[in-house]
Order: sequence, then structure tokens, then C-alpha cells
Amino acid sequence: MSTNSAKNLFIFGSLLCFVVLVILTIDTMGKIDSRAPEITEKINAGKKVWHKYDCIGCHTILGNGSYFAPDLTKATERKPKEYLKKFILNPRAIKKEAAMPKLGISEKEADDLIAFLDWMSKVDTNGWPPKPILAVAGAGREARPGYVLFQKYDCSACHQIQGIGGTAGPDLTYVGKKITDVQWHISHLKDPVSVVPDSAMPEFDHLSEEELIQLAEYLVTLK
Amino acid sequence: MQYKSQQIAKNFYTFAVLLFLVQIVVGIIAALQFIWPDFFILNFNTIRTLHINALVVWLLAGMMGATYYVIPEESGTELWSIPLAKLQFWATVLTVGAVIVGYIVMGLNPQANIEVLGTRLLNEGREYIEAPRWADILIVVSVLLFLLNNFMTVLKTKKFTAVQGVLLAGLTFLALMYLPGMFYTKSMVKDQFWWWWVVHLWVEGSWEIIAAALLAFMLHKLIGADVKVLAKWMYIEVGLVLFTGILGLGHHYYWIGTPRYWLWVGGFFSSLEPIPLLLMVWDAFRTTRETRGTIQNKVGLYYTVSHAIFNFVGAGLWGVVHTLPQVNKWTHGTQITTAHGHLAFYGAYVLLIIAMIYVTLPSLRGVKEFNQSRGYQAFWWMTISMVFIVITITGAGMVQTYMERLMGLDYVTVKASYNLWFWIFRVIFGIGFLIGVTILVKDYFKLGKEPSAGRI
Repeated sequence: MSTNSAKNLFIFGSLLCFVVLVILTIDTMGKIDSRAPEITEKINAGKKVWHKYDCIGCHTILGNGSYFAPDLTKATERKPKEYLKKFILNPRAIKKEAAMPKLGISEKEADDLIAFLDWMSKVDTNGWPPKPILAVAGAGREARPGYVLFQKYDCSACHQIQGIGGTAGPDLTYVGKKITDVQWHISHLKDPVSVVPDSAMPEFDHLSEEELIQLAEYLVTLK
Repeated sequence: MQYKSQQIAKNFYTFAVLLFLVQIVVGIIAALQFIWPDFFILNFNTIRTLHINALVVWLLAGMMGATYYVIPEESGTELWSIPLAKLQFWATVLTVGAVIVGYIVMGLNPQANIEVLGTRLLNEGREYIEAPRWADILIVVSVLLFLLNNFMTVLKTKKFTAVQGVLLAGLTFLALMYLPGMFYTKSMVKDQFWWWWVVHLWVEGSWEIIAAALLAFMLHKLIGADVKVLAKWMYIEVGLVLFTGILGLGHHYYWIGTPRYWLWVGGFFSSLEPIPLLLMVWDAFRTTRETRGTIQNKVGLYYTVSHAIFNFVGAGLWGVVHTLPQVNKWTHGTQITTAHGHLAFYGAYVLLIIAMIYVTLPSLRGVKEFNQSRGYQAFWWMTISMVFIVITITGAGMVQTYMERLMGLDYVTVKASYNLWFWIFRVIFGIGFLIGVTILVKDYFKLGKEPSAGRI
């Protein structure tokens, strides 16, 4: 190949690729909005809060960002919104060892941010992030009714047992050793702040009496 | 050196190496914050922003310096306007300084990041392009003045050469690709879509074009290789870089809310991205083998060839292993990406700019022989440290991918418990890297100003 034909290949080949990219971009721009819920003013305000506090400086969203703190694409699917709000306002009041400092985010900003994150969680991301294969395979292996409820209400989103589960709430591996009273657990599940004043856990008062007893009885066995 | 105006390159080089030092110091602080989040008065987000912005700016400054050296030499004339080049240099330094102060103020008091005319005053809160809009505009003006000066120089003699053409094409493409990051979109999906245009088409497009042009320039300058042969391979390399890189952009559009066809487009084209980088390695070795006589500037050649090798390993291999959607589904957003980023930038651009400095600085200082031992020392301290930094982050990324993504453990558990040793080793090798950079900066200021130690 002569230098000149290499040059022409470079110029025209690149231009062709760029034209294809522009065409794909136009097509994509027409399709993005239909792959997500409508963006309200509140959601847009939340996005601006996201930028204002440089959240992406620590977190990732859609997998892009700083890898220093958890990905927030599905934050509102994984954690109760009540918890998220309390955490955003003052992280270390909720979880002492949290890496996130108090940024001075206002109540309204927190609400807007959660609305934005909720929108985010509903975007069609071609199946990302994938469900962990071992978590899927292991689901429902233990048939104790209390454990089934633990899974049904997704308690492991925030609580760990034997290393499996979230770290937003306290580790429950030995909770039965610490608090042996079934009645305490029932009151705590129904209205957490009644027994733990600064708890960020949402109320699980929609459970039936029977479910509450089964769940509490399961918790006291964790020793 | 043939032309007085080439001296302006030194301003940019000095700015570059000093910012390089700043980048590494804040990098170590960031690494420590993985272990102790409260280690420093500024939070991780600000430190990371400084780490990456310093990198981008010093590499750009290095490219500008290199261009101010290359263009007069290729055109066979003095630069069109030295005062304009000086103005552009100081305007850049001032803008960058103001942006850094803004980041620090925002880091100390997030409420200071107020909204002005629909955009943030101090920090846009968008990864890598955090610089606020007013700074974006100043940067664009600076780059336009820089391009004007160089194009006018070329037009003075109209001695068009291949290196000159490709270099300026790369720089023009770079300036244009900054623009898609300069408008607000309500949708985070569109936000990230355009943001990748900037980020990807810079580092896997225009910057690689600039790298190919500078590689050809250096091989010619160091070895006296045939310009025609170099030019032909340079065209083939940049042609392939853009053929694979432009549509390789699709590998960022797998999971961000964009249509499914990007899985095919991105997967196919980005898998081919290592090919031109491998070609550059072959090009460097082939040219070096054809050397007639002895090479005076051995350390310059050392960095040049290492740049080609680590560009291929870091940008090529470390990229291609997680570029297919089937793999990326699990690794996306993990430390695997961080590992790739570190080795790719070190190989593709850090070594490139240092190579350019070693190739051109002796003649800018008016010497033919110089003490090369510090150059080698810096190289080995930096390279060995970087390889180990990348190994620790790759290890952390593999553990994270397995435990968090496959097994379903919590992000914080994996980061705080299972990966702790990786973070500790990263800090240790980070300090090794800092030693290398310190030697490099010292050598930069001393090169050619002391009696030769006779190692040539």
C-alpha cells in the first residue's frame, strides 16, 4: 500500500465511521426517552442536587463514576426510601462507621434526590446490574417460616446474616444473643423508633400478627 | 533546536511535570482514603477530582508543549506568534488555577457550589469534566488560540508534512469533541451518552491520533528513520485507531439506558481496538532495528518504545479483557475499570509525554549529551510501581466482581473487609511511584545544566 492510499483510507474510513456514529446517535436520541419514565420537575431538581453535591465523585450511577461508594442505579429498589432519606441527611447518625460525611443536604433536596434515584431505577438498562447468580440459586433453600419471611420482605437488603446481605442496618448474625425477647423484636418490627430512638428502619406494621411472631422467633434463634 | 520560538514548549513542560507531581500526591491521599475515609480535610470526591483533572491538564499541557516544538520544526519556520503562545500559556495556567481553587472551596463548603445561569459555579458534578461552564469556555478559547497559532505557522511556509497534518487533525478533533460536554440535559441517560462522546472520543480517538503522530516524530528524530515509511504506517495506525475507536464508543452504551444494538456495535468494534496499538509496538521495534550508527539519546528511545508497549498492554489488553458485553455485564462499575484506567493512561499518555520531553528537552537546553541515569531510575521506579498498583487494583476488581456481583455480598463489606490488603499495598506502591516522579521532576530541572556523568 502506498502512503497516499493509506492516507486516503485514514481520512475517508474515519469520516465514514463518524457518519455511522452520528446516524446511530440520532436514532438512539429518539429512543432514550421511551426507555424510561417521564421526567418531572421534581426528578430534574433531584438530578441537579446530584450534580451540586458531586455525588459521582464517590458513587457510580449506571456503573459510571468513582467506585468509592455503592452504585446508586437501583438504590430505591434495594433500600427503603425512608432509610435513604435519613441516611442522606446525616449518614453517621444512622450508621456510625459510614464513610459518607454530612454534606448539609436539605430535606427538600433529599426528597428531590430520592425522586431522581427512583426514576433512575426504572430506566431500562438492558438487564444491568445482573442479579447475583449465587443469591438466585440459593433463594428459598432454608424452609423455616421465619426465614422465608426474612426473604419475602427483603430484610437482607439492609441486614447481614453470616456475611450475606447489606450493611445499611446492623448485622443480625448474633442478634438472638443480644436481644432474646421475642416481644421486643415484634415491637421493633412494628415501630422501630419506639425501641431504638434514632433508627432509620421503616415500619413493618403491614405484617400480620402471625408473620411478626414467626419473624421475631426466627431472629432470636440467630446466635 | 533550530528555532527560538520552540522554547515556549518549556513553559508547558514545566507546568506539566509540576502538575504531575501534584497528581501523584493527591493520588496517594485518595488511596489512603480507601482505608480511612476521613484521612484528609477534603473528602474523597474532591481529592479524586483533583487527581484526575491534574492528569488530564498536565497531559494536555504536555501535548501543547510538544506541538509548539514539532510544528516549527516540521514547517521549517519560527512560530507565527510568540506573544500569542505566551498569552495562551498564562491564560491556561490562570484558568486551571482558578478551577482548582473552586474545587477546594466547594470541597470545604458544598453549599458554595451555587447555580448561576443554569449551571454550577464551582463544580459541574460530572465525572472528569467537573470544570464549570465558565472555565469550559475559557479552555475552548485557549485551545482555539493554540490551534490558530499552529495553523498560521504551517501556512507561513506551506510545507505540509504527514506528522504535522495528523498532529493538527488530532488536536482539532480534540477541540471539537470537548463541545458535546457543554450542555445540560434533564435525562441522566442522555447526560451520560454525550459525556462519553467527550471522554471516549478524546482518549480512544483524538489522543491516540496525537500519540501516533508524536510516535512517528520521535522515531524519526531519535533514529533518523525514513519519513515516508514512518508516515505510511502512521496513517495505517491512525486509520485503524479511528475505525475501531469511533464505533468502539458503543462499549460504553451497553447498560446506561440506550438501545440494545449497542451491545453488538460496541462489542464488535471495541474488541478490535488493540490491533492498531499492537501495530504501534511493531512499528517502534521495526524502526529501532533499522538503526544505523549509535543512538545518542538512549533514554528518549527507552521511553518511546515503553510508551508503545504499555499503550498496548494498558489500553489494549487490560481494556479488551472486559470489553465484551458478556463479561462487562459482571465487571462494569468495578475496580477492574480502575485498573484498566491506570495502566492505560500510564502507558498511552504519561510515558508518551515524558518520552516527548526527553526527546526534545536536550535540544531546547542546547545540549547533545546529558546525564541519563536519573531518567532510567525514574522510569523503573514509576513503571514497577505502576505495574504493582495495577495488579493490586485488578485483584481488588476480581474479588469485587466475584463476591459482590456473582455472590451478592454487599458493596461495603467487600470494600472494607475483603479488599483491605489490596488498598494497603496500593498505597505502598503509590509511594514508590511518587519516588519515581520526584526523580523525574528533579531530572527535568537539572537536565543539560550539569556536567555530563559520561553514561552515554
